[in-house]
Amino acid sequence: MKEISLRVNGEERSAEIHEEMRLLDLLRDALHLTGTKEGCGEGECGACTVIMEGKTVNSCMVMAFQAEGKEIITIEGMATKDKLHPIQRAFLEKGAVQCGFCIPGMVLSAKVLLDENPIPTRDEIREGISGNLCRCTGYNKIVDAIETAAGYLNTGGDSNA
Amino acid sequence: MKKRGIGIGCGFYGTGYGNGFPDVSRARAKLETDGKIGIYVGATEVGQGAKTVLQQIAAEAMGVSIEDIKFYCESTENTPDAGTAAASRQTYNTGNAIKKACEALKEGLIYIAIDKLLLNSAVGIRVENKKVYLESYPQSAISFEDIAKALTEPLCFEESFTAGTTKMEEESGQGAPYWPYTFSVYGVEVEVDTQTGFVEVLKAVCAQDVGRAINPQLLEGQIDGGFSMALGYALMEDLRLTNGEIRNNRFSSYIIPTALDMPEVKKIIVEDPEVTGPYGAKGVGEPVMVAAAPAILNAIYNAVGVRMREIPVTPDRLLEALMEKE
Amino acid sequence: MLKQVGKAEIRVDGPAKVTGRASYPQDLYMAGMLYGKTLRSSKPHAEITIDTTEAEGLKGVIKILTFKDVPHNHYGVLFKDHEVFCSKKVRSIGDPIAFVIATSEKIAHMAIEKIKIDYRELPGVFDAIEAMQSDAPKIHDKGNLIYHYKLRRGNVESAFDRAAAVAENTYRTSMVDHAFLQPEAGLAYLEGSQVVVCVATQYPHFDRQEISEALALPLDRIKVINPAVGGAFGGREDITLQIHLALAAILIGRPVKAVYSREESFAAHSKRHPMVMTYKTAADAEGKLIAMEASIVGDTGAYASWAINVIRKAGVHATGPYVIPNVKVDSYVVYTNNPFAGAMRGFGATQVPIAHEQQMDILAEKLRLDPIEFRLKNCFKPGDRTATGQLLHHSVPLVECIDKVSEWMNQNTGADGGAIE
Repeated sequence: MKEISLRVNGEERSAEIHEEMRLLDLLRDALHLTGTKEGCGEGECGACTVIMEGKTVNSCMVMAFQAEGKEIITIEGMATKDKLHPIQRAFLEKGAVQCGFCIPGMVLSAKVLLDENPIPTRDEIREGISGNLCRCTGYNKIVDAIETAAGYLNTGGDSNA
Repeated sequence: MKKRGIGIGCGFYGTGYGNGFPDVSRARAKLETDGKIGIYVGATEVGQGAKTVLQQIAAEAMGVSIEDIKFYCESTENTPDAGTAAASRQTYNTGNAIKKACEALKEGLIYIAIDKLLLNSAVGIRVENKKVYLESYPQSAISFEDIAKALTEPLCFEESFTAGTTKMEEESGQGAPYWPYTFSVYGVEVEVDTQTGFVEVLKAVCAQDVGRAINPQLLEGQIDGGFSMALGYALMEDLRLTNGEIRNNRFSSYIIPTALDMPEVKKIIVEDPEVTGPYGAKGVGEPVMVAAAPAILNAIYNAVGVRMREIPVTPDRLLEALMEKE
Repeated sequence: MLKQVGKAEIRVDGPAKVTGRASYPQDLYMAGMLYGKTLRSSKPHAEITIDTTEAEGLKGVIKILTFKDVPHNHYGVLFKDHEVFCSKKVRSIGDPIAFVIATSEKIAHMAIEKIKIDYRELPGVFDAIEAMQSDAPKIHDKGNLIYHYKLRRGNVESAFDRAAAVAENTYRTSMVDHAFLQPEAGLAYLEGSQVVVCVATQYPHFDRQEISEALALPLDRIKVINPAVGGAFGGREDITLQIHLALAAILIGRPVKAVYSREESFAAHSKRHPMVMTYKTAADAEGKLIAMEASIVGDTGAYASWAINVIRKAGVHATGPYVIPNVKVDSYVVYTNNPFAGAMRGFGATQVPIAHEQQMDILAEKLRLDPIEFRLKNCFKPGDRTATGQLLHHSVPLVECIDKVSEWMNQNTGADGGAIE
C-alpha cells in the first residue's frame, strides 16, 4: 500500500493504492467516481477514457501509481453544478445518447479532440472517437453532436448564453 | 483495384412473441399528490428510448407535457409486469397499455370534476393543461392538483393490452402469428478493394416504416444503430468457434464497427399509421436491422461480381471468392 | 391534433447519462459487501466431479456455491434446461459450475483456480446438421432436434415446373454476440424479509420469477431492481448472474456483488443463432415470384433459450416481404455443444434476409430485370397475404419505402458495378 496525491477535476485528492491498482480502480473504487466505465479491460473499447495531462488515456491501461501528481479530468468534472458542458448539451440535443455506457468516454474524447482541433471535419471527428466503441448509436449522431459542440465552443462556449 | 457497387435490401418484421403466446403489457396511471401523473410500468429502458417514448404517449393521452409525468419502471416492487423489452414490442404493446390506463384515469378525473364543479354531464368537458374544465364555460375548471388534494383515496387505474396473435396450424404453418408487421428498405454504395478484399460502405439510405413517429430523433438513432450492427454482421463479426470454444472473446479480436467504419446514413421515416398502435405507432428496434446486411451483400456483387453466400464477408473470404471467379 | 407525439423530445434519461450520474449495476457499492466470481466449464461436453475443499480453506473465502446449494437447480425461458450450477455434466464451454464468494475480487479469483474439476470428456457435436443425425452425441436426455416448423402454401413442385427462372443456393450466417458495452454486473442484498437483486435486465419481472422458482422462494420475497442498462439487444433476456447473487445474499446475509469481465460476458450470455439456409426460388416470365422452397437449420448450442420462437420467426419471414403463392418452408433448430443461442435483434428475421434478398437479385439478373423493378412487382401491398395466409389489410407502406430509397440512390450514388480507378 502506498498513498499518492493527484488532481482530479481540479481538486487535490489523495488515496491509498496498491501495486496492481489501475487508474480506473482508483477513480471508481477509491474516489467513487463511477462515471468512468469499464467495458473491456484491455484498452480496446474506450469506455474508461479519462483525460490525463490534457490527453485521453484508457484508464484501464494506466496503473494508479502512474497518476501520481497528475491532472486528471473525468466525466464528473465536465459540468458545473447547474450547467452542462457544451459538449454534454450537444450530445443531448442531437440524440447522441442511447444506453449511455460509452458516453462518458465519448464526451472526454470529444473534449480533447476539440481542444486540439476546434473546427474538425466530420472525418476528423470520426478519427478522434475511433478508440471509443458504441454498440447502440451507429456513431452518426455522436458525430453530429461533436460538430454542434464545436460550434458552441467557438461562439464563446454557450450559444444560449 | 477499387470497384464500387450499389445494392438494396428489403425486409419485414412481425412484432411480438407470436404464435398465440399471451403477449401482455400492464401499466398503471395514477394521480400523484402534486397533481402530476404517475406512470408505473415494468418496461425496461435498455437504451432504445422506452422511458422517453412511453412518457410521450402518456403525456399525449393526458393532455400534459412530459415534465408533468412521473415515470416509475425500475423495480418489480411498484410496477406491474409489462413484458420483456424485446420483439420490438414496448412502444406498441406497452404504449397501448399506458394509453389505456391514462384514458381510464382521465375518465376518473372527469367523474370527480363533474361532482366538484356541480355539473350534470360529462358532455363538453375537456381535460388539458393539468385541469378539467367545461369547454363552453372555461371558468368552470378544477386543476389536477386540486383534485389530488381533495382525494380521500388514491386515484389509480391499471390497464392491460394483449397483442393480437393466433397459433399457427401445426402441419401447414397457416395463421396470423404476428401483428403488426413493420417494413424496411436499405440502399448502400460500397467500395471493394480487389487487392486486399476490404469492403468499405460509402453511403447508406434507409426508408423505415414506423406507423407513426412518436419521437423522430430516437427513431433515427435506432436506424443508425441498426445499420451499424448489420454492418458488423455482414462484414466483421466472427466468434471463431472451434470445437465449441469462442476464440474471439475480446474486443481486440471480436471486431465491431468503429466510427470510421460507419457511413453517413440518410434516414427517411415513412408514416402510415397502424390502427391498433398507440397513436398509430409500430416498434422499430429490430426492423431497422433486418434489411441492411443483405443490401451490403448485393452491393458487393454489383461491384465485383461475386456472390457471397456466407457471412461475415471478411477480406480473406472475399479475396478467396475473387480468386475463384478468375 | 397531436401535441406530444411526433416531437423530438430530448431523452429523459439523457442528463444522467452525459454527466456520468447514471448508475449501472457495477456502479453500486455497499458497506461490507462481498465479491462473487463464477467458475465456468472449460470443456464443451463432459461429466464432472467437483472438489472445492482446498479453495474453501483459502483465507477470505466465505462460501462456495455449487448445485448442492440450489433448491431447484434449473432455469430457462422456454424449457428449464439450464442448470443454475452444473451437477453431473457440462454441455458447453462457459457453463457455470460454482460461485465463489470472498472478501475481495482477488481472493475470489484465487479460489476459482483452486477448485478442482475432474472432467471426463464425452464426444461432442459442433455442427447443427451433424447434430440431427441419429447417431450424434445427445446433449440432453431427449434428441437434439428441438423443433421443426412447417410452412405449406400452394404447390411448389408444379410451380417450379413452369418457372422462367430458378435460383438455388445455400447461405450460411455466423454465430455473433450482442457485444453491448456494459458487461453483466449485479449486487444482491437483504432488506427486511426480501432479497433485493440489482441487475441490468430486459425483463425484471421474469428474472424475479426465475429466481423464485430456482430458490423456492415466493415472489413477494424477491425484489428486482433494474437501474441503468448498458445495451441489451436480446442478450439480457436469459438469466446470467441473478440467481447466483440472490442465493449468495440469502445464504450469507451480506451484500454480494459480481462484475463480469468482457471475456466472461462472451461466455455467459446467449448468441445469435447461426443458420444454414437452402433456398430454391422461382419466377415466371413476367417477373412474378411463383414459388419458394427453403430448408433452414439453426444451431441453438447447448440450451434452448428462445430456440423455438426464433426458428419459427425465421420460417414465417423466410419469403421476405413478397407475395409468393407457392411456399414450402421447413425450419429446424437443434442442440449442439456450442455456446447457447437465444434472442438477438431480429430474432430469426435477421438471418433469412441474407438468403431471400440475394435470391431476389439473382433472379432479377436472370430475368434481366432491374432489382428495384423486380421487387416492386412482387412486394407486399395492402390487401396481400403473407405465406402464412395472413391478410395485410393496412399500414403496408413498402412500395413507398422502396421508391424513396430508389430515388435517393439515383440522386446520390454514382457507380453501378464498375471500376473507379
